[in-house]
Amino acid sequence: MTTTVRLPPRPSFRARRKLDESNEPEADRGILSVHDRRKRSVRNGQILSHIFLFGGLVIVGLGPLLWLAKSAVSTTQDTLTQPMALWPSGIDWANLSQAWFDVEVGKFFFNTVAIALGQWVISLLIAATAAYVMSVLRPSYARFMEAAVLATLFVPAVVLLVPLFVTVARPPIGPSLLNNYLGIWLPTAANAFNILIIKRFFDNLPFEVFEAARTDGAGPIRMFWSIALPMSKPILGVASVFIVIASLKDYLWPSLVLRGDVNLQPLGVRLPDIESQTELDVTLASLAISTLIPLVLFLIFQRVFLRGAGLGGAVKG
Amino acid sequence: MKSPTKVIAIAAAFATVASLAACSTGGSDGKLELRVATFPPGADQAAYDAFAVQEEQFEKENPNIDIIGVEYEWKAPTFTAQLAAGSLPDVFTVPFTDAKTLLENGQLADVTKEVTDLGYADKFNPIILDAVKDADGNIFGFPRQAYALGLQYNRDLFEQAGLDPDSPPTTWEEVREYAKQIAEKTGKAGYATMTKGATGGWQLTAQSVTRGGVMQDGTTSTIDNDGTKATLQYFHDLRWEDNSMGDNFLLDWGGINQEFAAGNIGMYTSGSDLYTALVRDFSLDPAVYGLTTIPVEEGGNVLGGGDIAVIPPTVTDDVKAAAVKWIDWYYMQKLLTEDGAVRDAKALADADQAVGTPVLPVLDEETEAQRLKWIEPYVNVPREQMKGFFDGIVNQTPVGEPKLHTQEIYQILDNVVQAVLTDQNADIDALLAQANKDAQALIDG
Amino acid sequence: MTVLEERPELQQRLRPRRVTPRKRDRSPITWVRRGGLTTLLLALPMILVFAAYSWWPILQAIWMSFQKTNLITYQFVGIDNFIAVLNDPVLGIAVVNTLYFAVLALIFGFPLPILMAVLMSEVRKLKGFYSALAYLPVIVPPVVAVLLWTVFYKASPTGVFNTILGWVGIPPQPWIQDATQAMPSLVLEATWAAAGGSIIIYLAALLAVPPELYDAAEVDGAGIWRKIWHVTLPQLRGVIFVMLILQVIATAQVFLEPYLFTSGGPNNSTVTVLLLIFRYAFEGSLGGKYGQATALSLMLAIFLALASFVYFKVTQKWSTN
Repeated sequence: MTTTVRLPPRPSFRARRKLDESNEPEADRGILSVHDRRKRSVRNGQILSHIFLFGGLVIVGLGPLLWLAKSAVSTTQDTLTQPMALWPSGIDWANLSQAWFDVEVGKFFFNTVAIALGQWVISLLIAATAAYVMSVLRPSYARFMEAAVLATLFVPAVVLLVPLFVTVARPPIGPSLLNNYLGIWLPTAANAFNILIIKRFFDNLPFEVFEAARTDGAGPIRMFWSIALPMSKPILGVASVFIVIASLKDYLWPSLVLRGDVNLQPLGVRLPDIESQTELDVTLASLAISTLIPLVLFLIFQRVFLRGAGLGGAVKG
Repeated sequence: MKSPTKVIAIAAAFATVASLAACSTGGSDGKLELRVATFPPGADQAAYDAFAVQEEQFEKENPNIDIIGVEYEWKAPTFTAQLAAGSLPDVFTVPFTDAKTLLENGQLADVTKEVTDLGYADKFNPIILDAVKDADGNIFGFPRQAYALGLQYNRDLFEQAGLDPDSPPTTWEEVREYAKQIAEKTGKAGYATMTKGATGGWQLTAQSVTRGGVMQDGTTSTIDNDGTKATLQYFHDLRWEDNSMGDNFLLDWGGINQEFAAGNIGMYTSGSDLYTALVRDFSLDPAVYGLTTIPVEEGGNVLGGGDIAVIPPTVTDDVKAAAVKWIDWYYMQKLLTEDGAVRDAKALADADQAVGTPVLPVLDEETEAQRLKWIEPYVNVPREQMKGFFDGIVNQTPVGEPKLHTQEIYQILDNVVQAVLTDQNADIDALLAQANKDAQALIDG
Repeated sequence: MTVLEERPELQQRLRPRRVTPRKRDRSPITWVRRGGLTTLLLALPMILVFAAYSWWPILQAIWMSFQKTNLITYQFVGIDNFIAVLNDPVLGIAVVNTLYFAVLALIFGFPLPILMAVLMSEVRKLKGFYSALAYLPVIVPPVVAVLLWTVFYKASPTGVFNTILGWVGIPPQPWIQDATQAMPSLVLEATWAAAGGSIIIYLAALLAVPPELYDAAEVDGAGIWRKIWHVTLPQLRGVIFVMLILQVIATAQVFLEPYLFTSGGPNNSTVTVLLLIFRYAFEGSLGGKYGQATALSLMLAIFLALASFVYFKVTQKWSTN
């Protein structure tokens, strides 16, 4: 006999945003009290802060990216001789089409997306199942799993570089995973951090829900799929952000694994290789295009990003 | 719950498709697959078109071999990664100096038998063949092209600076004067030299050799010789006194070619066969290219180099036999037979690829003279712009690069060159003494 | 009425946290029936992936560091690799450079995010906007950032930064073309790219400080600076300590910036330990020095482990004081 476990209905988008805001770890006050804020000196300080923050963050944080956008459609001559001027020789839209067609930015862009998507699925699958087993199911070997996973956190990635490469290149069993996206996805999925943050979340889930499902006859997979996963949307969101961003930023490992087949390489690997054979303006246009994916993702999923980044701190603390 | 399932299912399907696409497919319909090196990343599509024509011709004559062209560039990290993976092409090329390291590491297939069977083992220039032999005289590759170091110059910058592009400099003092004039009149670097990725050491060696310097004497490292000292002093003077070397000193082979093609460098030394790569990979405008002999002083020599077609040691006998067939057909026949030479020249010329770039013969002189006659009708490189080189090279006998731990020693020398060019107070004697010590340690250790 | 009925909240404490049966109930059939097999199947992906790509390579690293290999043949050579690495003159340079990078990164990149986070936590409006701006450089792929900053650092008088310096009358600088300026230039770019992440983490920590502590401090008459000194900083102490060691461990393994900006130049002034490992494995000797590469990585790993251990012991003492 199957029983459905009823979860409260999903609030609408607007309502969810309001809930999100009220759930943000917003202190009703920080260092400054209401009384402090009335003081003239504090108000001036606030204005200064705004100036400092605004100036600093816009110029330093945003500035380089704005320059990139401007230079992506400037001619090489302009960029080299008058880098801070605004298009003295006019806007060179040809850069973008050259970047797209000659450098084939589109193809490598697609590879980058494909790699990130595959990584997302595989990493999440492995991390979620592992966290579920370690936290909820708790077989007798859970302890060993935990310890073994935790231990890898303390091994710096550098140690793995060469032997991992050899393992992927000439595995004791099975085919070589070089020039194959699995050679990127699988080793990267062996990531203890993702497992730990999801496990922590599972640990905090109300136990009664699982008990109730158990007594109703639900098996482990059913509980995973219909209870644990839906309830962990927040942490899965955070983990997804980490996974996708890490995938988009990865350089060394993909460049080693995909050395042999250019058509598989993501943009991040391809660009440095052809940088010397490409004119500066087209290079800049390619860089601008390749910044678009993470940028767009960030703008859409801002909240999840920032909450995830902050949560990382809470976990580390 | 429908939506997460859908999302995951779609993503998983996507990922599976992508990974299946990434999985390499095995050989098809009983043909032997032969993976061969073609061109570096960024090469023109036209180059690949020319290759496709030749691929077809070969496959017609050898119907049970399926040629698969693989993008290939000689770069140490690429090579070692592919070697580790066992994913090197079955035929690829290696510069002379690296060939020594590789065959000492046991990373090249022994082809002594195959070379002798093909019948032209004695046609090779013995000095060049020596570069691919181990201590016991076994041959590990087919020298396919050789070059001498030459002075590349930008005719356009010469004109802008008021210099005559048809009378390039013939001594190092003249090079210095010309460089100064170019820097003053055009603001571009008059002279440049490679500095990183082991190319710094290579060019330092090349320029030292012209001043009589010898880097290795048997198993003794002699880096701190007068020729090298003079070369470094020359760099110092051009850089800090004349300020004619521009402001970018982290240049490897690709970097310096890129700057040259972009019109930012007046003169530099590199292989005489550079024209092909400059036009094909770096989009150089052929009209601005000039080549002359590297200035040689009393008692000096010209450095030669080249590359070799080789086979990884891990291939099966079938693949090895097919590889040797390809090497013979693609690299050797165009040097030996009229058919081969014409066929190759025609395919290249039809696709607007360079024919007639200045090279040194890997085989003997008469064979080379013959070959030049055969390809005469197809030559499309601006040979008049390279007159300085053709006229002068007949009087120069190239010498080989240092034999022991060459690339590693070049890397040590990279730092010396970088130091001299970026630090006005660099102590040349001290730097050379230290480099010599380190090089000797490598040779001994 | 039982105790449990009277005090239902005790029920929570009594409940076991497992859903699988206890040991004495188990036999193979019971195991399968109770979902043991399914559990194993659920655990299998992680176990396989970790075994193949984490645990096994770690063991392999240890084994390989005692071998001389060209990846086709292997030969046991004892501790020769370690000795060769220790005798390499470039090792000393690499260690010093890495330390230099780490120290510079701490000076540039440690106090600044804390300061900005404090400012951001206290402003009334635009918090979200500032957070997004601060995090922007973090999401830019490192390859893009480095290639972009290479253009910024062009040493000609018309290079981007040199032009800006020209506006305030400072002569053009060589940046990465000069052995003294190269490392600081790399640190500058690395800080730009990473500071945002730290800012967000500190911001979250600051917002989690219980407001009652500030109330209590004000009752005791504390002004703004004393509140920061006695409440904010102690509360942040845990996060700061962890961020500190994490930053040191991360900077100890810096590779991308030296590799893409300068390839370790000029004159080895930006060679880091990671770059040296990369060189052993993938350059120069053309595949002949894998053993030395793994030997050096092991030495680095052990060093970092020891350093972390000492660090945690020391900070534990401070925390409990």
